[in-house]
Amino acid sequence: MDFDAMEEQDGVRLSWNVWPSTRLEASRTVVPIAALYTPLKERDDIPPVQYEPIACKQPYINESSVDMRAKLWICPFCLQRNQMPPHYKDISPSSLPMELLPKFTTIEYTLGRPLQVPPIFVFVVDTCQDEENLEALRDSLIVSMSLLPPNALVGLITYGTMTQIHEIGYTECAKSYVFQGKKNYTAKRVQDMLGILPANMRPQQPSGGPQRPSGVAARFLLPVSQCEFQLTSVLEQLQKDPWSVASDKRPTRCTGAALSVAVSLLETAFPGAGARIMLFAGGPATEGPGSVVSIELKEPIRSHHDIEKDNIKYYKKAVKFYENLAKRASTNGHVVDIFAACLDQTGMLEMKSLSNMTGGALILSDAFTTSIYKQSFQRMFNKDAQGHLQMGFNASMDVLTTKELRVSGLIGHAVSLNKKTPMVGETEIGVGGTCAWKMCGITPRCSYGVYFEVASQTGQQEGPGQGQSQKGLIQFLLQYQHSSGVFRLRVTTICRAFMPGGHEAIAQSFDQETAAVLMARIAVFKAEIDDGPDVLRWTDRMLIRLCAKFGQYGKDDIASFRLAPNFTIYPQFMFHLRRSQFLQVFNNSPDETAFYRHVLNRENVNNSLTMIQPTLTSFTFDKPPEPVLLDSVSIKPDAILLLDTFFHILIFHGETIAQWRKAGYQDQEGYQNFKELLEAPRADAGELLVDRWPIPRYIVCDSGGSQARFLLSKLNPSTTHMSGNMYGGPQGAAIFTDDVSLQTFMEHLKKYRPPYPLA
Amino acid sequence: AGYGPHNPPQSVAQVTDQFQQMGLVQGLNLTNPLIPIDLHTTRPQLEDLEAPPPPLQIPADASLTHSETANCPPEFMRCTLNAIPKDHGLLKKSKLPLALVVRPYITLREEEAPVPVVGDSVISRCRRCRAYINPYAIFIEGNTRWRCNFCGLSNEVPAGFDYDMMTNHGLDRWKREEINHAVVDFIAPKEYMVRAPPPLVYVFLIDVSYNAVTSGLVATAARTILESLDRIPDNDRRTRISIVGVDSNLCFFSLHKDRAEPEMLIVSDLEDVQLPRPDDLLVGLHECRAGIENLLTHFNEMFQHTQNGSNCMGSALEAAHKMIGNLGGKAVCLTATLPNVGTGKLVPRDESKLLGTPKASSLLQAQNSFYRSFPLECSKNQMSVDMWLFSSQYQDVASLSCLPRYTGGQTFHYPSWNASREEDAFKFAHEFSNYLSMEIQLEAVMRVRGAVGLRMSAFYGNFFNRSSDLCAFPSFPRDQSYVVEVSIDEDLKSPFVCIQTAVLHSTCHGERRIRVLTMAIPTAKTLNEVYASADQVAIAAYMTHRAVERALASKLEEARESIVKTIAGICETYKKNISGGISLQLPNNLKLLPLLALGLYKHIGLRDAAVPSDMRAAALCLLSTLPAPALMNYILPRFYSLHDMPDESGRPGPNGIVMPPRMNLSTERFERFGLYLIDDGQSQFLWVGREAVPQLIMDVFDLSSINELQSKKGKLPVLENEFSERINGVIAKSREYVSGLLYYPNLYIIREDGEPSLRQWVLSHLIEDRTDRGYSYIQFLNLLKEKVNA
Ligand SMILES: [Zn+2]
Ligand SMILES: [Zn+2]
Repeated sequence: MDFDAMEEQDGVRLSWNVWPSTRLEASRTVVPIAALYTPLKERDDIPPVQYEPIACKQPYINESSVDMRAKLWICPFCLQRNQMPPHYKDISPSSLPMELLPKFTTIEYTLGRPLQVPPIFVFVVDTCQDEENLEALRDSLIVSMSLLPPNALVGLITYGTMTQIHEIGYTECAKSYVFQGKKNYTAKRVQDMLGILPANMRPQQPSGGPQRPSGVAARFLLPVSQCEFQLTSVLEQLQKDPWSVASDKRPTRCTGAALSVAVSLLETAFPGAGARIMLFAGGPATEGPGSVVSIELKEPIRSHHDIEKDNIKYYKKAVKFYENLAKRASTNGHVVDIFAACLDQTGMLEMKSLSNMTGGALILSDAFTTSIYKQSFQRMFNKDAQGHLQMGFNASMDVLTTKELRVSGLIGHAVSLNKKTPMVGETEIGVGGTCAWKMCGITPRCSYGVYFEVASQTGQQEGPGQGQSQKGLIQFLLQYQHSSGVFRLRVTTICRAFMPGGHEAIAQSFDQETAAVLMARIAVFKAEIDDGPDVLRWTDRMLIRLCAKFGQYGKDDIASFRLAPNFTIYPQFMFHLRRSQFLQVFNNSPDETAFYRHVLNRENVNNSLTMIQPTLTSFTFDKPPEPVLLDSVSIKPDAILLLDTFFHILIFHGETIAQWRKAGYQDQEGYQNFKELLEAPRADAGELLVDRWPIPRYIVCDSGGSQARFLLSKLNPSTTHMSGNMYGGPQGAAIFTDDVSLQTFMEHLKKYRPPYPLA
Repeated sequence: AGYGPHNPPQSVAQVTDQFQQMGLVQGLNLTNPLIPIDLHTTRPQLEDLEAPPPPLQIPADASLTHSETANCPPEFMRCTLNAIPKDHGLLKKSKLPLALVVRPYITLREEEAPVPVVGDSVISRCRRCRAYINPYAIFIEGNTRWRCNFCGLSNEVPAGFDYDMMTNHGLDRWKREEINHAVVDFIAPKEYMVRAPPPLVYVFLIDVSYNAVTSGLVATAARTILESLDRIPDNDRRTRISIVGVDSNLCFFSLHKDRAEPEMLIVSDLEDVQLPRPDDLLVGLHECRAGIENLLTHFNEMFQHTQNGSNCMGSALEAAHKMIGNLGGKAVCLTATLPNVGTGKLVPRDESKLLGTPKASSLLQAQNSFYRSFPLECSKNQMSVDMWLFSSQYQDVASLSCLPRYTGGQTFHYPSWNASREEDAFKFAHEFSNYLSMEIQLEAVMRVRGAVGLRMSAFYGNFFNRSSDLCAFPSFPRDQSYVVEVSIDEDLKSPFVCIQTAVLHSTCHGERRIRVLTMAIPTAKTLNEVYASADQVAIAAYMTHRAVERALASKLEEARESIVKTIAGICETYKKNISGGISLQLPNNLKLLPLLALGLYKHIGLRDAAVPSDMRAAALCLLSTLPAPALMNYILPRFYSLHDMPDESGRPGPNGIVMPPRMNLSTERFERFGLYLIDDGQSQFLWVGREAVPQLIMDVFDLSSINELQSKKGKLPVLENEFSERINGVIAKSREYVSGLLYYPNLYIIREDGEPSLRQWVLSHLIEDRTDRGYSYIQFLNLLKEKVNA
């Protein structure tokens, strides 16, 4: 099966492409039926359809049985007969509407709902920063204005000890409303204090004639084209927070209050309109609601160890505060992006729900001067071929299934819409108990893991003839506000066969890459709630069960254990997942963990696999670059390694290469090939950077250099200080780690063949 | 007003032994003559109000240097009794009050009446009573020590009196200012400073709500400040200002010396007001001049489209307090709106039910405890509050005026002010600019000391009475005066006693100084002596303060009754103990007292009538702060006949334009064809008789007939005819009647047959006439006679 081609067509990859027909059989296949769906996957070949979809109560005509003569169609999901609408009267086998063509299992409708408000961007800017950082941030914001559509509304909130909402519609002088940092103002208070009326209380504009901007739109949120000058001048004047900071203190920084004011402003003025709140934080919140650390420098910010020991003064309260804000933002269709730029932590752990629940971005960098921040921010505003921003707003997704299948849940950046239908399954995976979710912000790179269960207890009793497989359908309905100013509905309908349990087609339909990614999402989802060791045990257990079910081996012969080719690398993925930063958190800060997990929960199969199992490419003389094992044996003195962990791109010069480079051979005549060798991995890295987002950290290092630890930490420790130097020889490098190697892991795995109890 | 000898020096006896001098003084003891006047038969001569009080009969040789300036001029300090009873019994028997009227500064700017300065920091004070050495101290023991003229303690004369340590020069101690002058300034050394003298600080809290913008207050205030920037004292370039717009929000402005553009910062959280910036809100007048000018130039435009009808002045004051609490200074409130939101918010009180009833007094009390507690906070942190009030509706002047009252501030009231009337704009701009140019003193305390036997028992005026005899002034204005009541606790044995007022302060130029006023007052054994030397102006000032206190603390009726009771008591005492039973006589020096009492009784501040409480409260503010001459004028307006004034009137004389004679305040003098001026120092009324001849109308108003003349607030044209020039001269001169004030009275042109309410208002100033609920002068005398004979 060509999974890539299916992904290309519909943006969907499934763990299983043939489904066991009973609930029991499905549970024995261990990895659930699940899809990783990228709804806005760019496809040039589907022009948006300019008419309204035809709906059966809920579902849409597609993959349905159409009776051309009677002008009837039968809904495959609820089996109801529906009359064709009048404009389908000329339908015939030779003249089918687009949605009935097999090519368009994915189709995008333009909905007639007119849009009242263009996209809104509210910058929330931390001013407790040194001048260099602040200047870089100012510059990036000023540049971003030229990237926004001219009609987009923008607003500015700055914060430090206090929060300031800038009235950029006021032109006499710079003007802002100042809110105390230590208080959590309700939306009503913010509204009163700004002197604005909520959207539903505004006097009705007389219809016809141009819409006069109402209060807020005219004062705080203005079209870029109108306020560019004023906003630029405010940004240029932006100074460091003027309140002094004692040398033993952190700056007083009211991140929570500022976000709360931003959420309130949009909630009051533009509920339901597509909007982004973009937070630019230079450090942790120390004042007011959502504080994550004390103002006293002598009290360090919480670590994973502190959290494990429950030694966390601010954590729970802050998490609750930001979750509550995230809920409000998400209810109103507003996205929150967080750009953190700080050598230390900023409280991303506590704030992550804001991005995770609203489809916002989470970018972690050391400073606003770094290209990680600058380019990642700038790429937020990438445009499509028509010049529209590649970001959708107010997205929500419904998932429909035919009766044999039920929806277990979704893992990704979304919140439940609490839509209970008969299609909602009994088991919950991720955000379950619903068959509809709200994403708010969505981009072409957003992928969602959707998990299913098989409903039938008995198999195909009512199915048609024997041997003929029954089909199941899944329909994804993703509605969103396109940045061109229209609502669109993207419908993807996929159809797969059910087979009796144990049918070889099921095993053959296993997409191990997708399965690994979908299982990784479940593991990470569990890790957010459960203890680390429990999650590892669960991961192991699931792997062992899968191997036991699908592995082949001779009786009492461990060595004969074999897996089919489409299962072979799955254990490797699991091995790397176990030791990845997603599950092994103690080498990272809690903020980094939040960040890594956030990205994993967004990316597609390929990107996620890179994160789980980084790629390593070796460059040597006289050989084209080749992928090598992510193993310490790959480190060779005369090779350059290119490591891509998705978050890091690292070029590692082997010992000899490093010596030559330091000696400057590359600049000497006659060493052209060495110069080319040095440049080759750089060129490859450059290509990787082209559409990577967020921009990875780029590291060039030499064997023995301190930066090399980034590489070593990712390598399989086939030659560790534990295993001595028996096999390593001169070509491998010893890695100081207590981790088991992949080989040891696989050996252990084989031992767990049946009769391991299948629980 | 002069600052010169007002007591012609008596023959100077050259006495070397100063102990002997005391005996001689007793021998030469002079008294003022007692000239009885029959009140019923003698029409009061109002010009006598301007006469000096009965002289303080202290021999010139009673002072150290026999200086002519040894005793205090009445402009600075005057006593109700220029001969003090020697014991409490006699004072009680006299029924006369014993009180001082003190005005330590008599001009808005020091250079207009400079006071001698002791600049060498040699400050000699009595070790026991802490009195400052003064012209009535006595050098003893070969001039090495001085005996305190308050408590009698012998003190060392500091070496610095005779020898300048810095220059190693001998000095002539007899030339020292403090022993030659009753009024001197000492430059204070460090011991007198808790901290370095603070800069002059003004925080302008400008109402920017709808009423203020549409009335033109915002524009006029901003323009006046802008145009007065050079007048604000700033010799040392330390003066700092802040400008805050006030509606339902606080609009702060951040200014920076490197940036001409202001930044507006709005604070709407009124429950717990915090400043939006740690600095750049209160900025150096010199340093940030460009930014301040830019802000003031555009200030009105920033708010011109406002629809905001609310005002949070109480919260604004809290913010100002936060801003300048560590420095002190003045919070200048300019508002046309009742503060109806935020801290100390006020509600309109229902006047209609209460006016004219005994309960009207409740309208004169603060309706919110903020107005009682906050001033004490201000006083503690050296912040004064001034209220400039402009509302055309009820503004609760009574509540708002509490803030100035306890912080050394002032309430300025411009009811129904509108900048579209040129006169309104001019008056306010003129007064506000004068106010800004005033050289106020900062973080001042005033203490009054008396000789053994005398005790300062009560203090009246705008300040906070911090401890028994210490009055605290965050800022000390130059246009107010204070009354101090004195009681006699022990018999006074010496022929004269001294009283000393000291004001320790920082000047607005960054110097720490002490202004000391010393007054020597003879003592008297008999009622005759006491009565012959009583000062009717000072007594009237005292009665006014007492009446205001009663009006604010209890009831208006009680205030009025106390006036009658006091004056009746005096007449009765005089009849019983001095005139030998003749009813209703008073000595010549007190003959205007009944008229002053009547003027006070019928004054808008106390009058028995339905006076809007804002008008009444504002009048009470003036009554309790005006310096004595202005106060007398406010109680008994000046009334001049212009159409028939003497030839010299309106023409230049030795003291400027010659004024016509002052007339009694009665309509009986009105001719139907006449032209009159009535002036109470706050307003001027030009009264035009209904039958004024066309020539007069032509000469004065440039109109062909009186029918073209309208009653209104306005300006008198200056025409090219002699009469017009003379009348304009008289009106201008009348405006300057009392020097050292910042007021610019409005001129109202009133036609006898014009707008009845204006006409009625003018007539209410003619207090010798009978009114609805008020006595005529004759009725009042009859009332007194009844009470005296009862
Ligand atoms: Zn249906
Ligand atoms: Zn003494």
